[in-house]
Amino acid sequence: MSTGGHNRATTAGRLSVLVGALSVPAFVGVWELIARSRIVNAVLFPPPSTVAVAVLDWIHSGQFFGDLSASLFRVTVGFLIGTTGGIMLGVLTGRFRLVSSLLSPLFHILRPIPPIAFVPIVILWFGLSEAGKLFLVVWGVFFTVWLATHIGVQKVDRGLIRAALMLGTPRRQMLSEIILLGALPYIVVGLRTAVSISFYTLVAAELAGAFAGIVYRIEIAQQNMQTGQVMGGLAALGLLSFVADRSFAAIAERAVWWR
Amino acid sequence: MVAMMQNPLRPTSPLRLVDAPPEPSSTAPEATIRVENLSIVFDVPRGEVIAVDRVSLAVMPGEFVSLVGPSGCGKSTLLNAMAGLERPFEGEVMVAGKPMLAPRPDIGMVFQQPHLFPWKSVRRNIAHGPRALGKSKTEALRIADDLIEMIGLTKFASSYPHTLSGGMQQRVAIARALANQPRVLLMDEPFGALDAQTRAVMQDNLLELRDRINATIVFVTHDIDEAILLSDRVLIMSAGPGRILRDLSVGLPRPRSSAILTDPAYLALKRDCLDLIRTEGRKAFEQMEAVT
Repeated sequence: MSTGGHNRATTAGRLSVLVGALSVPAFVGVWELIARSRIVNAVLFPPPSTVAVAVLDWIHSGQFFGDLSASLFRVTVGFLIGTTGGIMLGVLTGRFRLVSSLLSPLFHILRPIPPIAFVPIVILWFGLSEAGKLFLVVWGVFFTVWLATHIGVQKVDRGLIRAALMLGTPRRQMLSEIILLGALPYIVVGLRTAVSISFYTLVAAELAGAFAGIVYRIEIAQQNMQTGQVMGGLAALGLLSFVADRSFAAIAERAVWWR
Repeated sequence: MVAMMQNPLRPTSPLRLVDAPPEPSSTAPEATIRVENLSIVFDVPRGEVIAVDRVSLAVMPGEFVSLVGPSGCGKSTLLNAMAGLERPFEGEVMVAGKPMLAPRPDIGMVFQQPHLFPWKSVRRNIAHGPRALGKSKTEALRIADDLIEMIGLTKFASSYPHTLSGGMQQRVAIARALANQPRVLLMDEPFGALDAQTRAVMQDNLLELRDRINATIVFVTHDIDEAILLSDRVLIMSAGPGRILRDLSVGLPRPRSSAILTDPAYLALKRDCLDLIRTEGRKAFEQMEAVT
């Protein structure tokens, strides 16, 4: 390849990095201009500077970290319980036909119901307690991970299972090593989907009535017409789930370590 | 590399490929593998298919026996029955005096595909069997290291399977099957997926390896050259339903190398075998045509 072509490629690469770096600041700048130009109602559509002030107030008031930890707790614990259950039952239904006949039809009926639709019954069952919120996250996460694991277990190379059988692999090791690791690439995909689902269901859980949490704070601010705070809450939620997704992607890449 | 090896056969060497004397299996009580009147039937949407039809055979301790036949003749099914992976419909398979109803660690198997555990290094793949049988980690890894040296992959001990070539993977699969020191080694077209050069090298390796282990080996192939080169006895199977058509003793001296494959006397006998297989293959093909 000629030097000229190489230079051109580098210039184009630099330009795209530069444009990429300007993407968010440019958006914020345009937003600021429009909000201040009185084309729109600044109370309903506050400029980013107002949002920033609201977020700083939120942090200074000490409520931010309480809200953050409440939301993180619900997402993390719900995710862990739901995915553990999903993986365990997925291995069982994927491996044992009888267990699958017993549970799969039920799971396939329950799975398509959006978890948000369970909010009313969850309030009746659990009131405003934490258990209800965890239930929603667990419920949302469980079916996705169960299905991914179930399919992954069924796709485990039969040759691998036969080879393991011929080597005298005990039954328990067959499930915990050959089947589980054989299905791992599928499970990881299910887990990554579950990360976003746990944030969707968090929103439903906190809107259903809570005493702390990022979404709870958004709702309170809405009732008080604090649009800056509402948008600050949205930004915090977006950032949080973005970080969660990216960290999980990084973990997932290493989870299937032999690739 | 193969061509450069010296022909071990002198012109007068007894190159024979003859029918083994008919041997009623009851006179072979010391046989390592004994198949009695075995039939295996598969359910298919249109009814049943007889994959193996009343087969009886005996394999003596330390013997290397090949099963040869057209594809679909039931040779792999017969091998799977010896492995305990396939249940008899009728009759019985005895290995070391005990009926085969499930896989047993004293019987090793190498498949056409290596089927290595992708999440384990070469070393840990080979150590899997001994570990599964309750050996300590140190002991299992020591066994693995010895075998890795034997198959000449010391440099790749900590590599993962996907980084190895097909031939290397299959060598690891053989070592993994040997790690449990099996009494019987079953090989289901183990070199069938390899290119011609690699296959030739693998055959030479197996000949060397055979002298160093004392396992009874049953080897499935559709390659008559491979069968004669490697075996003490070649069983030629008929097209479905699978039956044993001929039981040929290979009277070739050992050690052998692939150089015998160009010997004229050998070629004449090979032609007879091929004719037999070709007739059977045509029969199978016509049967399939008749069904569809």
